[in-house]
Amino acid sequence: MSDKITYSFSESLIKRQAEAEKQMLAEWKSGEYTFDNPLIKMNPYLINPLAAVVLFTTEKETAVTVTVYGKEERGNIVHTFPRAKEHVIPVLGLYGDCENRVELRTYEGHTKELRIRTEPLSEDVPKLHYIKTEPEYTSRDLIFVTPSLNALATGFDYRGDVRWHLTVPVVFDMKRLKNGNFLIGTERVLQMPYYMSGLYEMTMAGKIVKEYSIPGGYHHDQWEMENGDILVLSEDPDFVTIEDVIVLLDRETGKIKKRWDLKDCLTPGEGPSGGYTDRDWFHNNALWYDKNNHSITLSGRHTDTLINIDYETGELNWIIGDPETWPEEKLKYFFKPVGDGDFDWPYEQHACLVTPNGDVMCFDNGHYRSKIREKFLRNRDSFSRGVLYRLNREDMTIEQIWQYGKERGEEFFSSYIGNVEYYAEDHYLVHSGGIQYYGEHASDKPAALMKDDPNVRAESITVEWLDGKVIMEMKIEGNFYRAEKLPLYHDQDNLPLGEGIRVGEMGVTPEFDTLIPMEPCGELLPYRYEAQLIEEEDRFTFKAIFEGGQLVMLMLENEEEEHGYFISTAKNKFNALCCGTFIEKDPRNITLSVNKAGLKGDFQVRVIVDDKKYDTGIQIHC
Amino acid sequence: MLREVTEQEFRQEAGSGLVLADFYSTTCGPCKMLAFVLADVDKTCGDKVNIMKIDFDKCPDLVEEYGVAGYPTLILLKDGKEIKRVSGLQQKPAIIRMIEDEA
Repeated sequence: MSDKITYSFSESLIKRQAEAEKQMLAEWKSGEYTFDNPLIKMNPYLINPLAAVVLFTTEKETAVTVTVYGKEERGNIVHTFPRAKEHVIPVLGLYGDCENRVELRTYEGHTKELRIRTEPLSEDVPKLHYIKTEPEYTSRDLIFVTPSLNALATGFDYRGDVRWHLTVPVVFDMKRLKNGNFLIGTERVLQMPYYMSGLYEMTMAGKIVKEYSIPGGYHHDQWEMENGDILVLSEDPDFVTIEDVIVLLDRETGKIKKRWDLKDCLTPGEGPSGGYTDRDWFHNNALWYDKNNHSITLSGRHTDTLINIDYETGELNWIIGDPETWPEEKLKYFFKPVGDGDFDWPYEQHACLVTPNGDVMCFDNGHYRSKIREKFLRNRDSFSRGVLYRLNREDMTIEQIWQYGKERGEEFFSSYIGNVEYYAEDHYLVHSGGIQYYGEHASDKPAALMKDDPNVRAESITVEWLDGKVIMEMKIEGNFYRAEKLPLYHDQDNLPLGEGIRVGEMGVTPEFDTLIPMEPCGELLPYRYEAQLIEEEDRFTFKAIFEGGQLVMLMLENEEEEHGYFISTAKNKFNALCCGTFIEKDPRNITLSVNKAGLKGDFQVRVIVDDKKYDTGIQIHC
Repeated sequence: MLREVTEQEFRQEAGSGLVLADFYSTTCGPCKMLAFVLADVDKTCGDKVNIMKIDFDKCPDLVEEYGVAGYPTLILLKDGKEIKRVSGLQQKPAIIRMIEDEA
């Protein structure tokens, strides 16, 4: 068996989709596809097996209505496309593993029934425990959930049937844009455990319209501004501290137009939560732009606070949270609780939002539920909830107006992740996405670090609340970062054709300042490390298996330059795992991605393992 | 000056001047890397700080006394008093900054 490590080149998803679309359109143009004999392409963009595209030509311009028949009438998904002679119609919301009945109808004209066969759903689809709805619950929107463990992004209808699913691990928040597409994090890991290369702007059929690469990567949340620019949670490309930078991306070019560093308004180490670390001192997991006061509200899990900063200056406006342990000079930013009702501060919360009248909501995870180590609650003794606060900045008071979840205790407890959505007054969604049990009680250790343990049970409960009562509750197996209720179709272009584009830039991967003085040993990296190198247009990824405690450094070398990238083989590398999707079951597996940005020339790839520097036999051109 | 010390040597010398204590384990990859970093740091500012490497497994009393929860952990002491502590692998500039702020 050869000791040379496995090498492959991976074409970008956006290019593979462009090629698939080109072939689909060429096939359509080369045939006689009419309303009565359309071309049907299943999974045209390679990542959504519950979508198809139907292509045909009509002699006269006509609007066309597509109906994907549900298991009952309430499950029908219907959309009318604008008049045209050439029709390229995305069919969304098919059921897996069945012959779907789909009807096309011309405007004031005749109908054509199609039968579209789908493949069985993959193991990446989360299993439904139950969905309970009130009889009057008539929403034809789907509940979309995005990954936090192994199961991938999926959309459930009111019955709990899966009507949408992506087969690539795109992650974090799924936010619909004004043009009907949505933004979601790419599947390309920049740094473990979950710092992604950027964002995809995607259609519901799974087509990537635009890929935004961001030097400091993307995590947790994003926001479309009024002019289309995008606010993104990011970090400095050197990753010395993490989850403490926000950038504004130009919608067209992807270039960074503005940047906020939270170290400018807060001092790391102030008011630490139970999960605080020196590096991940704020753990920004949400952002919300408020045009009413031109400010940004952020959720800092590792300070147990929601903070609000001025958009122009980045200066601190206010802090919602338990003021205990915060320094004197920051106390003026805190609110004082008022009102006769129940009141609890949020702890290690997620997903802040601002309602139209200025109230603030979040998912209060309640992790530790104290700022004092001696008073920390175990997960089994705490509670999680959606909560709504009313602020008065004139007298700096805060009132708890509404909450849902405290009464459910441990059963609804999510030590991490989760979100709330605001639809109207007294109409909300609360998603407890990170319920984790070990045996009979809520686990104190993340499930992502116990993927093979049969005693671990991960669940997610999503609740829709309307006019004082729960009108929908869905429980699924696994943990899911957020839940969003969205319609599949929208009233704009549901399938813009043409090659998707990549904008923005990858950052320079941080190198290790100190290199290990060592000459190559002249041997190839032994096969036992099961090393592989996957090259892409803009980077390469090294994967291998090393034992805990080994000293490992990846080297890029040529006659003029040496670049070293340290690879940690420590067992517990990660503290906060809002997205554990990329964590390997075997902790000995390591993954290191190196961007080509900042490197120029041809480099030999070598690997130092303990006291030997091995060759890989691979040369990378940057 | 950088050197490996026993518990007794540490107790004798940690009480005066600037001391950087590196609590490490021989079974930890980041600790092994930190050894190269500290050798580099020593070349740059070895005249300002006494760098002492303390084996986590061989000095359990010191580990407990200083409340070291994991490795590697760097503790900067000035005249025996702890003034700064960082956990995990650190890069050379960060360690030099930490020393020069107190030197």
